[in-house]
Order: sequence, then structure tokens, then C-alpha cells
Amino acid sequence: MAAVQETIDAVKEIGVEKYKYGFTTDIETEKAPKGLNEDVIRFISAKKKEPEWMLEWRLDAYRRWLTMEEPDWARVNYPKIDFNDIYYYAAPKNFEDGPKSLDEVDPELLRTYEKLGIPLREQELLAGVRRQGEPSALDGDPADSVYASGRVAVDVVFDSVSVVTTFKAELAKSGVIFCPISEAIRDHPELVKKYLASVVPVSDNYYATLNCAVFTDGSFVYIPEGVRCPMELSTYFRINEENTGQFERTLIIAEKGSYVSYLEGCTAPQRDENQLHAAVVELIVMEDAEIKYSTVQNWYPGDENGKGGIYNFVTKRGDCRGDNSKISWTQVETGSAITWKYPSCILRGDGSQGEFYSIAVSNGAQQIDSGTKMIHLGKNTSSRIISKGISAGKSQNTYRGRVSAHRKASNARNFTQCDSLLIGDQCGAHTVPYIEANNSSAQFEHEATTSKISDDQLFYCLQRGIPEEEAIALIVNGFVKDVIQKLPMEFAVEAQKLIGISLEGSVG
Amino acid sequence: MNVVLKHNAVEESLLAMAGKGSASDSLREFGLPTRRVEAWHYTDLRRLLKHVPARAEKLSAEDAKTAAGDYPRVVPAIRLPLFDGQYLEEFADELPAGCSVSRYGGANGSNYAKDDAIGLLQGLMGAEGVQIEIDGGVTIDTPIGMPHTSTNAAYSGIAHSVSVGKGAKVSLIERYLSPDDMGVQVNAISHLNVGEDADVTWVIIQEHGNDATHLAQLHVSLATSSKLTIIMLNCGGKLVRQEIKIAVEGENSELNVLGVNLVGGESHVDVTTIMTHTVEDTASTQLYRNVATSRGHGVFQGQIKVAQAAQRTDAKMACNTLLLSDDAEFSAKPELEIFADDVLCGHGATVTDINDDHLFYLNARGIPIEEARALLIKAFVDETFEDLADENLEKALIARIDTWLQKNGS
Repeated sequence: MAAVQETIDAVKEIGVEKYKYGFTTDIETEKAPKGLNEDVIRFISAKKKEPEWMLEWRLDAYRRWLTMEEPDWARVNYPKIDFNDIYYYAAPKNFEDGPKSLDEVDPELLRTYEKLGIPLREQELLAGVRRQGEPSALDGDPADSVYASGRVAVDVVFDSVSVVTTFKAELAKSGVIFCPISEAIRDHPELVKKYLASVVPVSDNYYATLNCAVFTDGSFVYIPEGVRCPMELSTYFRINEENTGQFERTLIIAEKGSYVSYLEGCTAPQRDENQLHAAVVELIVMEDAEIKYSTVQNWYPGDENGKGGIYNFVTKRGDCRGDNSKISWTQVETGSAITWKYPSCILRGDGSQGEFYSIAVSNGAQQIDSGTKMIHLGKNTSSRIISKGISAGKSQNTYRGRVSAHRKASNARNFTQCDSLLIGDQCGAHTVPYIEANNSSAQFEHEATTSKISDDQLFYCLQRGIPEEEAIALIVNGFVKDVIQKLPMEFAVEAQKLIGISLEGSVG
Repeated sequence: MNVVLKHNAVEESLLAMAGKGSASDSLREFGLPTRRVEAWHYTDLRRLLKHVPARAEKLSAEDAKTAAGDYPRVVPAIRLPLFDGQYLEEFADELPAGCSVSRYGGANGSNYAKDDAIGLLQGLMGAEGVQIEIDGGVTIDTPIGMPHTSTNAAYSGIAHSVSVGKGAKVSLIERYLSPDDMGVQVNAISHLNVGEDADVTWVIIQEHGNDATHLAQLHVSLATSSKLTIIMLNCGGKLVRQEIKIAVEGENSELNVLGVNLVGGESHVDVTTIMTHTVEDTASTQLYRNVATSRGHGVFQGQIKVAQAAQRTDAKMACNTLLLSDDAEFSAKPELEIFADDVLCGHGATVTDINDDHLFYLNARGIPIEEARALLIKAFVDETFEDLADENLEKALIARIDTWLQKNGS
């Protein structure tokens, strides 16, 4: 079918006009000198007021990193990254002075919060005007009442620092620790020492090792034994400065019988240069505990020709250490120029469960290579993978997953379903599962399909007066329904909209 | 600066046996593939290939006569016998009209890809086989057999090239045999061109002894409206790798693959397939049934590639495995690589033990548990070859499966 003018116009708009988080915030920042060397690491460590052992740990990781090679097995292509052309530390400057009211806060920052859809009450907290629990001047504002009762604690990471964490005091009442990781290193060194890099070893892979050397902030969560975290925890990541990389580190520990649901969201400004985001997330789950980890990743994807955008190289792994523990990963990936991400579960405890629900939408020139690993080590472990890939434009979307059963993992059970949907004939959808069974009682099932939107379904919608783009969004939303249902409510709505936005202009 | 690869003993001995040439240069540069080469992810050839024996010596006329005399046939076939890497032309059956055969020395490769270790080995060690031309419009009712028997713990390189003309119809059987406990090594590469409207059945029966190394490739190209059925049985060997690479490059062409891989003892059996669909309106279906028992390691890698121009491709693949022992392993990597949007592609892979419900059902009807197990395994495997067009072939294959199942007492 020849492209009509409308289509061409529509395609032009993808990514560029439609990325609503593409603004930059013009606030003064303090940065480390550009480039990567031991001095920069010392600088970061000093800025974070870290103890000596942490600095040594970072330097050791850096030295190991120097001997490592960048992995090249993923189905992604990008020019070589110059690791010396990146700022490894950037922080909003007037943060530490502590403004007294919203008027004193850098208005640019407030505008940012506003654009991100964070309500005023939260803004007060985020800007450090009001402490948690203090009455707000905005109390009684009806427009804000939804959030007044909002039961979501937020940690906001702006470039390299966590700017604020809300609801800390309230969480502390039930013994939950929720704070920036840099604070945890100072206040809870025993926990950090015990668990940091215990799931993702320091030299696990190139980007994880880099992260160990230069990570700047991220969240630390500790749920004590038997506690069901009273609210959803969430972290909001934003890369703002030019040429900066964001290296966040998240560590979540769920003690015996506890439960927590954690959400993360990410956005970045529209820039012509590529920016690097190399995060490490580690989850540790003890006996009978459960962590539910949801991500809505919406980094700037670059323009339709692949100019700019975030390189998202992330190592996420959870360790089900105790019996009957459970980890559930849910992700909605719509942003980033390149995604290289495999949230995994090590099912060590007997009867432990791993789940992975993913929607990966690629458009324009995006490249996604994402999937999961389910490593069955304990007895009677089970895992479930539902992956929905949608490719449009000139994008490439790859599912890569590994399911393996150790010799002693008797009765390991896996079910995998990967479906790909192609919109247009310029894109690619690929499925690369690795299935490794070393135990005869393992029961592994894998199925994958690739197809386009059925003409019948589309015709049905069109005939009822639904415009083509809306019809496609509708069908796609139906296609991903299994995964959307696994998201917490607030995210589900956002994710559904995001998918609509990401696919706009892809009809042709 | 390129880092100079430190060669292991096998690579050294190969380089010593081989002359100069592009194959030697490639081996010197890459070495044998390891896990790090994606196509060899589950078969670390550099580690598994312990030894490459010297090339088999030429059979004396007397030996050849004896060997060819009591040759066991699978099915009534036109036989083109091969022994220890030699085509025994003087003992070959006569071919029907419209069909010609000649001795073939293999294609001279150059610029070997890093993952083409089998091609590279053949380039280094040389090969011999037959070149068969089937004229257009000819229908040959009796299958053409190309059996190869190894009688020495030596290396044999085999190369066949078959070209089937427009509208012709034929079956060909590639078969490999060797005695137990004999460290034979066979490297076999076949090329098949299926012409327009042609209908071809290609059978691979690999029934080596328990100490054989068998590295093989089948390259196929399919022309417009042609039809190809591949029937494959792997029931022998210690280290086996069978690659099947098919270019579906004729519109309306159709491909069917039915494979059974029986992996027992200490064997490592790897089947790697790549189906490349490059034009519109083609179809392929693949079904593999595997049984892994004892300390066997089975591998299946199946790639379906659909180029951007290949709209309306219908490609399906299923790989089902029964894993019968805790010391056995099975690794599967079914891959889809799709660049066209109007396609229907899917793959399914399962790895399980025998279903307890099925066992119970039979047991409840008075069938002892061991017998019930054997029955279910047999049913699982036999299903693959049900309703083959050639009944003799079906019987012969099932007989071999039965023998294997009895021998490997599962």
C-alpha cells in the first residue's frame, strides 16, 4: 500500500511531538568533572558523604570494569559509547539550603513537577518546604484531595541525587525503611554491606560493574519480618542535565512473611545526543515474602531517525532466597532509544515463584532487546512469563529469555507465552527463548506467535465508526490486556495511555 | 592488533593434516567454535571434539566387494553405496532414465563464516560423494539411497549435490552407519536444489554406533511452487550435529520437516535448523519429537527468518521433548526473526516427563507401569512418522525407533 500524505505526516510526528516529557528544566546544577576516572569516583563518594569501605568498594569495581568488554550479543546497534564524554554526577544546586515556602523554591523545579503531574502537596514535600506530617497551607484544597489521601510514598531521583522521599515517617512507624540509597549507606551500613551486590555480583556484566563504580542514587527499601507495607512505594527517575548519565541503584529487601509493591517511572528531556542510563536493581525475598516490582519506562526514545534518546542498559534481578517466596516483575517499556534489560528471578527457595509480565512497545527507530531469566534451583518452583511485543515504524523488538531447571530443581514448572504484533512492514519482531531442562520432572512450555493486527478486527472497528488509529490502539490494548491487569491501578491507566501515544502515527 | 588465538591440540592436529588454503587460514583465525559463538551456544565444539582421526584409507577392490555385498537396505531403493568416504561407483545400482549420477568432490568453499565449523572442516579435510541430476518432468518411484558405512575408526568427508528439475518427483535417502565402540568421524554436507513445481522427499537416517562423531549440513533451496518433505531420524552417535539450512525462495513453495532425535547413553545430539523465507506466500511446518535419557544431552535450535518481502508467510514449528532421566539434559532455542508484517508465525517448545495422568489411565486398565511407560514413549515418538506417503519407509523408521527404545531401556 502506497503511503498517503496523511501517513507521511503522521509518521513524522512520532516520538518528536508526542513525547510530552521532552522538556528540560533550567536549574543550576553542580556537576562532577566530565569523564570517568578514580578522582570522579572519589568525588561522587565524597559528595555522598560515604564511609571509606564504600569508596574502596567503588574503586575496586572501577578497576574490574576497566578489564571488561562491552557485551555485543544483543540485537541492538549503536555507535560506540565514549564513557569519558559523560558527566557522572549532577545535582540540583540549591537543594541543600532548604527553602521555607514554595515561593522560594526554584520555580523551574516546580514547573518540572507540575509537568510531571505531581500535585502541589507533593511538590511541597519534594521541594523540601514542608516536612512529612506537618500541616500544609494547601490543606483543604479540594483539587488536591485525591492526593491528600494518596497512599503512595515517592522517592524522586533527579539526575544523580534523590531529591526527596515522602511518607518516610509514616513508613517508619511500621518499621519500613524507605530512603535514598546514599542515606542507607550512611545510616544502615550493616544492611547495605550484607545485601548490596549479593544478587548482582560486582563483576556480573559490563554495565552492572560500571554502575557499582559510579552509582549515585536510587532507593533503598527494607521491609521487616511480617510487615505488609502499608502503601505503595514508588520512585520517579528523571535525567535532566545534558551529557549526564544516570546510574541508579535500587536495593529492596523483604524479610520473612512481608510484602511490598514498588513502582518506578522514568522520563528524560528531548536531546539530540544519546544519554546513558545504567541501573542495577536487586531484590531479596525471604521465606513467604513477596515483592511486586512494576516499571513504566518512558525515557526519551529519540526522534524518528534514531537521533538522540536514552540508552537504557539495566540489570534487574531478584533472588527468592526463602521457601515459598515470590517475585513479580511487571514492565511497560515504551521509551528509550535502546533497551537492554532482562529482569530475572533466581528461584532458590523451595516452592518459590517468579513472574514476568512485559509489554514492550517500539516505534520510530527504537531498538528493544528485553526479556527475562527464570533460574529454577529449588524444588517445586514455578515461573510464568507473559511477554507482549509491539513493533511499529522502523523499530526492532526482540524478546530474549532464558528458563532453566537445575538438576535438583524437581517439579520445576514454567509457562512462557510471547506474542509479537507487527504494525507496518519496516519493523522487526524477534523471539529468542533459551530453554534448558536438566531435570526430568521439570515441565516447561513455551509458545510464541507473531502476527499483524487482524483485518477482521480492524474492519469491525472501522465499520462502527472508530477511526483507524483509535481502532489500532483499542486492538493493541486488548492484545496487552493480560499484562496491564497485573499493574497497580495508577500505573495501569498511565500505561494504557502511553501505549496509545507511542503508537500514534504508526498507521500506514 | 589481532590477538593470536592459542590453538588446542585438535586444532593443531587439523592444521597439521590440512594443506594451505582459505580453510586453514579461517581455522587459524577463529579456531573451532565455543559457546560464545551463538550458533554453537549449546554445543561447545572446541571442548567436545576431542580428536579428529586421520582420513580413511582407500578400500581395496576385494574389501569393497565384500562390504558392498551384504549391505542392509532400509527400503527397496536404488543404491549408490559409499564406504569410508568413498563412492563405490562400480557397485552402484543403475539409475532410471532421466536421471544421471557422477562422482562429486564437494564444493570448494572459501570465506568461511565463524559459525560454519562443519563447512570449514570439510574444506580442510576434503570430501567425496555423488552429484545427481534429475531431469524435468521425471517421476522416480523407487527412492535413491546414498548409504555411507564407516568400517574404520577414521575420518570420512562426504559431499552430495542433488538437483531436481522442473516438475520432477523423487525421494532420496541419506544414511549413515557405523559399528558400536568405534571412534569414526563423519563430516557430511549435502546440497539440494528443488526446481519449479518439483516434489522432493529427503530422508536422513543417522544410525551410527555409540562412539561416532557425526557433523552434517543440509543446504536446500526451494523454487516456485515446489514441495519438499524432510524426514529425519537421529538414533546413534556420540557427538552429533545436524544443521539444516533452507532457503524458501520460490513463491508458493511448501516445506515440511518431521524429525525424531533419540538421545541416550553419553551422547550429545544437536539439531540446528534455519528456515529463511524470502518471498511471498510460502509455508513451512516443522515438527520435532525428542527423547533424552540416561546421560544424554539433546539440543534443538530452530530459527525461522522472515524477510521484509516475504509477506503472507505461514511458518510453524513445534519441538516436544520427553526428558526421562535426571542426568539427561535438553536445551532448546526456538527463534523467530520477523521483518514482514503480514505473517503467521509461531513456535512452541515443551520439555516434560511422561504425563502421570496418562500413566495412571493405562495402569488402571491393568497395564504394568513399565509397559505403560514404554507404550507412551513409543506413541509420542511414532506419531511424528505417522502417515508417511512411503509405508515401507514408515515401517523401517519405526523399527529403528523400537530397537533404540529397547536398547536404551527407558
